[in-house]
Amino acid sequence: MTTPLTVTRIAHASQLITLGDLRVLTDPWFTQNATYYPGEPVVRTVETLGPLNALVISHEHYDHCDLDALVAGGFDLSTPLFGPGTVTALAATKGFTNLHTIEAWETARVGDLTVTATPGKHGVHEVTFVIAAHGRTVFFGGDSLHIPELDQIPERFDHIDLAILPVNGLCIRPAGLRQVVMDAEQAADLTAVLKPTLAVPHHYAFHSGFLGDRMITKGDRDPRHYTDALGRIAPEINTRIVLPGVEVTVP
Amino acid sequence: MTTNVPAGSLRPTRSSTITVNGAGIALADRDRTRPFLLLHGGGGVATMTGFADLLAERTHSRVLLPTHPGFGGTVRPASLANTKDLAAAYVGLLEELDVSDVTIIGNSFGGWIAAEIALLNSPRVSGAVIVDGIGIEVQGHPMTNVTGLAPAELAKLSFHDPAKAPRPPATGGTGPSPDVQALAAYAGPTMSDPTLSERLAGLDLPVHVIWGESDGIVDPGYGRAYAAALPHSTFTLLPRSGHLPQVETPEELLGAIDDLGR
Repeated sequence: MTTPLTVTRIAHASQLITLGDLRVLTDPWFTQNATYYPGEPVVRTVETLGPLNALVISHEHYDHCDLDALVAGGFDLSTPLFGPGTVTALAATKGFTNLHTIEAWETARVGDLTVTATPGKHGVHEVTFVIAAHGRTVFFGGDSLHIPELDQIPERFDHIDLAILPVNGLCIRPAGLRQVVMDAEQAADLTAVLKPTLAVPHHYAFHSGFLGDRMITKGDRDPRHYTDALGRIAPEINTRIVLPGVEVTVP
Repeated sequence: MTTNVPAGSLRPTRSSTITVNGAGIALADRDRTRPFLLLHGGGGVATMTGFADLLAERTHSRVLLPTHPGFGGTVRPASLANTKDLAAAYVGLLEELDVSDVTIIGNSFGGWIAAEIALLNSPRVSGAVIVDGIGIEVQGHPMTNVTGLAPAELAKLSFHDPAKAPRPPATGGTGPSPDVQALAAYAGPTMSDPTLSERLAGLDLPVHVIWGESDGIVDPGYGRAYAAALPHSTFTLLPRSGHLPQVETPEELLGAIDDLGR
């Protein structure tokens, strides 16, 4: 029998993934500040997360690595935390105790859960992940750019059941509009390579406030650009745009 | 510098039951209207009202335009002794109104208040627009002393085309008007704070500094220095405009604010 696989977006890139009885939370973000707005409801508080088998964090940016909110909310700091060295070093200073440092193509295991860091590229050091357990496999794209190394994933892993990809093509205005996140077309190209059973876009509702959107960031807030592109490039792949809080079961 | 608060807590969905025609209607109210706080300068609230209408109508936003206590016949309590006190009062106003992602827009003295509000690090404030602001001290670019100037002389300094200056109301009476007294009380005799530039160096907010090219009170060099004092700023020079772009070239000012970054 196939192990049930579900994903529920809490907001932005915070995804609650269940693989059978295992519960994994990616890139936690629960707060907001003057120039970081989720732009969509945050459907869980730290207090209502329930027990987790793992935290998986792609990089240390505030909107992906809100460790302060976890600590303030009484989160169990002995929960296994997987991430690159930049994240685990930060987590250690916040009191997290069960740290698993993995860089690109390195794997760590806790119980039945296997987490492999896959390559990533962003404004700071970032990895993406392949998260696997009980014969189900998830690709988590964080907010990486689409780099050629990611196209090697199918050579190294069996079938991907679920691919979660960023799609807003975020550009940083003060850095000459340097692009730091894959855009809808690039995400669709990567999806066509990964050939998942289901692809879910994320990382598109976020904004920087009225002036911040004009002075700091430029991003695409319409996820239909991704599903439209995928429909053109790889129409055989199923994709779903979901609101936060909607539990999606992957066939 | 940034303050993180639980997401959504600053403008929560409000649930209430409202009775209409005897029927109780359970209502959930989600308000994501974009709020702006407009801060007028020494010329009083009248220098901002036209632009407030334009901004609200054109961008379908919520535009908050207070009259600084002491201006326009209102009372300035002793507790509001300087620009910082006024800035703190306005942060309190935003708390009271329960708004977030607020963009502060201030002209002249209002620009100084906007800078002081930005420095208070409220999570409700997401950015500031300083339009021909005062408050800093810039070597080689002194602010023109406008004390005791006749209205025509003041208009000449304030407008690119003085013919566009609104006709000042006939005041009658003698001595400084209550507005001038209130301004002097907040801004002090030099109308500046020698510590402001240095304090702005640590600011973590986006600030758009916009300047009328023909400003005869604080010149564009002063404006560039204002932007340079801010670690995260953009400077826009408005041609054919003076110290009060919202009065002289309101459409161009709105365009500069709204189209920034396109």
